[in-house]
Amino acid sequence: MIFATVTTKTIRDRWEGWLIATVVMGLMLWWVMSIYSQIDLSFYTSMPQVFRSMMNISSEADVGSLAYGVMYASYGALTLAALALAMGGASIAGEERDGTIGLLLANPKSRTRVLASKAAALVLLAGFGALVLWAAARIVPAAVGVRIGGMHPGALIFEMFVNALFYGFLAMAIGAWTGRASLATGATTGVMVLSWIAVGMFPVIKGWAGVAKAFPWYYYDAGKPALNGVDWGRLSVLLGGIVVFAAVAVVGVNRRDLRGQSVGATVFDRLRSNPATKKFADRLAGSARVSRIWVKTVSEHQGLVIVVSYIMFLGMGVLIGLLYGLIDQAVQKFAGQLPKTLLAMVGNGDMRTPEGFFQVETFSMTAPIALMVVTVVMGARALAGEEGRRTMGLLLANPVPRSKVVIEKALAMVVNAVLVGFATFAGVVVGSWLGRLGMDIGDIAATSALATLLGLVFGGLALALSGGTGRTTIAVYVTSGVALAAYLLNSFLPLSATLAGWVRWSPFYYYLRGDPLNRGMDWGSCALLAGLFVGLVALAVVLFRRRDLRQVG
Amino acid sequence: MTTQTAIHTQGLTKHYGTVEALIDLDLDVLPGEVFGFLGPNGAGKTTTIRTLLDEIRPTAGTASILGMDCRRDSVAIRRRLGYVPGDLALYPSLTGRDTLTYFANLRGGVDWTYVDELAGRLDADLAKKIGDLSSGNRQKVGLIQAFMNRPDVLIMDEPSSGLDPLVQREFHTMMREVAAEGRAVFLSSHTLSEVQRVADRVGILRHGRLIALESVSEMRSKAIRQVVFEFGSPVDPAVFDGVPGVRSVEVTNGRTVLSFDGKMAALLTIAEQHDVLDVTTEEADLEEIFLTYYRDEAVTA
Repeated sequence: MIFATVTTKTIRDRWEGWLIATVVMGLMLWWVMSIYSQIDLSFYTSMPQVFRSMMNISSEADVGSLAYGVMYASYGALTLAALALAMGGASIAGEERDGTIGLLLANPKSRTRVLASKAAALVLLAGFGALVLWAAARIVPAAVGVRIGGMHPGALIFEMFVNALFYGFLAMAIGAWTGRASLATGATTGVMVLSWIAVGMFPVIKGWAGVAKAFPWYYYDAGKPALNGVDWGRLSVLLGGIVVFAAVAVVGVNRRDLRGQSVGATVFDRLRSNPATKKFADRLAGSARVSRIWVKTVSEHQGLVIVVSYIMFLGMGVLIGLLYGLIDQAVQKFAGQLPKTLLAMVGNGDMRTPEGFFQVETFSMTAPIALMVVTVVMGARALAGEEGRRTMGLLLANPVPRSKVVIEKALAMVVNAVLVGFATFAGVVVGSWLGRLGMDIGDIAATSALATLLGLVFGGLALALSGGTGRTTIAVYVTSGVALAAYLLNSFLPLSATLAGWVRWSPFYYYLRGDPLNRGMDWGSCALLAGLFVGLVALAVVLFRRRDLRQVG
Repeated sequence: MTTQTAIHTQGLTKHYGTVEALIDLDLDVLPGEVFGFLGPNGAGKTTTIRTLLDEIRPTAGTASILGMDCRRDSVAIRRRLGYVPGDLALYPSLTGRDTLTYFANLRGGVDWTYVDELAGRLDADLAKKIGDLSSGNRQKVGLIQAFMNRPDVLIMDEPSSGLDPLVQREFHTMMREVAAEGRAVFLSSHTLSEVQRVADRVGILRHGRLIALESVSEMRSKAIRQVVFEFGSPVDPAVFDGVPGVRSVEVTNGRTVLSFDGKMAALLTIAEQHDVLDVTTEEADLEEIFLTYYRDEAVTA
């Protein structure tokens, strides 16, 4: 029964990630809901109906039920989809990457059968995750004492489940067709993030609202399932997508040669094999790249850095600048009436000014996430990654102290973070210039620098965890959890009169507290974030020097 | 260098939780020798090597290389050390030459003509990416990396895995050359024939304890081998009675066949007194000896 064993093995390998992520989501829901239920209700009752529906609250429900929309509909859906796409992308391609596919397929079962087993595991685990979220969605309001009459948490979670499977199967199709797990998860993550951003952005721009329909996230989000129940019309688009991707995966995996554990040829490899460009390319890709530990580390992440920088420059910088002039006047006017408490939710930006618009769209969340993707991946892989791939022993057989390895890896992280930070800065400057918004370049630079430092703080945390435990997964998961908690802390604690003081414990607080996009650099916050980063690197040195290297495999 | 031991351990012990991976290891490896380190899987060979490299820290005891403490002077030691880890992994996206350049940059002072010479001797392709090489060809890059800075001490964990017989032979020659130059080789291996061929001395580890430490020639002299004499006239087998090492004597078709594990001189003295036409001896095979050490009953020996 390979069907059962491949499925059960895959579930056994993955279930912990799903459990932890969904339980954390449930706890976050509890926390956000209890904060919301303390909010002064006066602004809410006076809000126009259009706004109430925009915020996903039914007329019978308490304001606390906003937490469904805030916690589950966006963060929860992104988390479920990310878990699903990581699994989908690795289904066949992951076994090829690990070199285990040959052994697996030496059993008398077809590729289609193995793929189907992997797909079954994906559906089962996504269902399991949805179930945990559903349980939390029922328990939390009762525990906190929030009325949720007229809300449909079950419908919301069902749509989140389908949405997650859409990205899971997309990644599976790409992985099955190409045999590259990293390409599958990377490309699918790109599609997911871009469409999530697009669906948040286009509807506020006059005449452009229809563009959102080109992005898959729309078919999950636009029906507002928490408020209106399952929107079968839109959902059928996603369901259709899943069927198509599954079919594509089956065809893809059967038509091609299985990959060995070989590495693909990059542009540089082609340049190196061409006599005309050989000398130049050899210098750049060969001798220069391996001249130092930090240079080599920087180059290992060049693909990720280029993609992230590109998105930040063009999508979150230039494009936002051009779009500012197009924002629907009604939305602008309306945004001006938002109570302070709700502004906190969207990054405290005043959408009537270009600075406020950039703060909401680019800086409050997207820029820190972009930077963290780079710094946390680098921090986690820096030490634990080399241990996991068993190259650390050889690296440390050279006359290089462990502290130097940590410091050079941290330096590489700084270099790449600065590149992404600079791309963001340059994009906003160009966007401001093209849109004739007249924003202050110094203020943009200050905000970008603070965002870079914030990213480095979490990268430093990942590095310390990586150095202390030698495990990439722990470093990534714990850091992501802490970052999410810190973000939510900063966004929601100010809403509660009694808890507002605790916000100082979140690094996010020091990022935008001085309103750098209007007032320039807040040197105190800058020094604090920089100090935190240096402290975490020092901690990484101490932890890494103390322990035994792991022996993997 | 002549007065110093290359590797010295005293009471070296490593526990992983309740598992005793290495117990009280006392060992000296001398300059100018190839030291074979043998033992079944999980005996503690790799644990010993990883402790010497300061990858892991001993629970008790000390280790030193070239007179320097493995923990405190680790960086200074590594300047004079070559290392091939077991189950070698390299960076898949780098070519062989990039890989060697990287390590050469970290070390400094690598002679590239020597690197090219090593690559030629091992028939290594340095232009290809590591990820596109077969495991044997990858192993060659690992070997060059260990030899290229002419280290005073070479520590290698299963270094010949994946190498074809011709390259293995060249590699053995390279190890002997290192020893001939007064440098030390610490060779952990499962390939008994390899150890038998290149090692001067052998240590055997079992369940974390060193159960034997002997020179290969000593071991060979103790090995039971067959000695066959052809005499011009029949000889009474009883003449060999009392010769140390004679286990049994058989006479068939005029040939006297002895099972023997002593020194040849004594045996030849007796034989000389008779009309010896021919003598043949089968080379002592250490494999059986090694295997007895590996088996459980040898623990108490």
